[in-house]
Amino acid sequence: MITITHYLILAALTFFIGMAGVLVRRNAITVFMCIELMLNSVNLTFIAFSKYRIDLDGHIFAFFVMAVAAAEAAVGLALILHLFRHYRSVNVDSAHELRL
Amino acid sequence: MDMATTIFFWLFAAGAVLSSIAVVVSRIPLYSAIALILDFFFFAGLYVLLSAHFMAIIQILVYGGAIMVLFMFIIMLLNLRDEHEVVKIRSHHAVAVVLSMSLMAMMGSALLQIVDMKTIPTAETASADTLIATPSRVPGLYGALDEASLDQGFRAKISNWSAGTGKASDGKYRPVDPTAPTVVPTAMSGGTPQHPEPASFGTVEPMSLLLVNRFVVPFELSVLLLLGAMVGAVVIAKKRL
Repeated sequence: MITITHYLILAALTFFIGMAGVLVRRNAITVFMCIELMLNSVNLTFIAFSKYRIDLDGHIFAFFVMAVAAAEAAVGLALILHLFRHYRSVNVDSAHELRL
Repeated sequence: MDMATTIFFWLFAAGAVLSSIAVVVSRIPLYSAIALILDFFFFAGLYVLLSAHFMAIIQILVYGGAIMVLFMFIIMLLNLRDEHEVVKIRSHHAVAVVLSMSLMAMMGSALLQIVDMKTIPTAETASADTLIATPSRVPGLYGALDEASLDQGFRAKISNWSAGTGKASDGKYRPVDPTAPTVVPTAMSGGTPQHPEPASFGTVEPMSLLLVNRFVVPFELSVLLLLGAMVGAVVIAKKRL
């Protein structure tokens, strides 16, 4: 029998895998993908609770999270593109100064 | 049915965890992106198991399609091969791993307490002094948030929907078949998803009704957000700022 706790533990596990990736990896694109992973596991939590409560509000919240993730991906990748043009690298350590 | 759900859950869960690990550890960004697409498909399978059919389709279309195409486009545009990232263990690696593992242990211990609901004090079992600290006991602030009144409101909602008297402006979902027997669950009892939900739970129709009724303002605002993001992305990615 699969309970809501299974889904919550799975979501926590993938969230912390993503978090470890954000903290450990230095490649800006990989860091970005790990952020998407974290957003996804939060969505899983929302949808699990939504099923548990038989209430669609969690689905709506996950829907808006996806809209924000799409916007964030577009702007973030444009920023990474600009960073790469300037430093010829996507290593996040290369952008350690505020001035261009 | 239940057996199949269990099997598919473990299948998708194992796939999701393994491909998540593959996203983090793979040295080549393109392989990370492919693992992430695989991961999104496993998550979509989990959404189907949670009867969130609309969200599963959106997951594949928006995440697996749009966002990941953008990622792969950028990776190929920048021609990122193996970055030869320095693999030596630096101090911030240790800090990062310890930090995320301890946070995971904390959240895991919190989650494992949910399994046994008896460990959480209810209104009957808790002593008077623990109840004073509960926000629902503060009059006027969260007055309607104690378990009993939540449960009562939930029952009233479900019987309204079943009778077909729930307004669409409530923004809440109304079941298609009003004659179907509806088992009203208590709001927070047990650890299992509460069955049965209405047959069209999580499909396009109730979701769209919600999005154009109760959540119409955030829905329209997300249009502005996406427009702003689109213009912003073009401006930032231009050769000269």
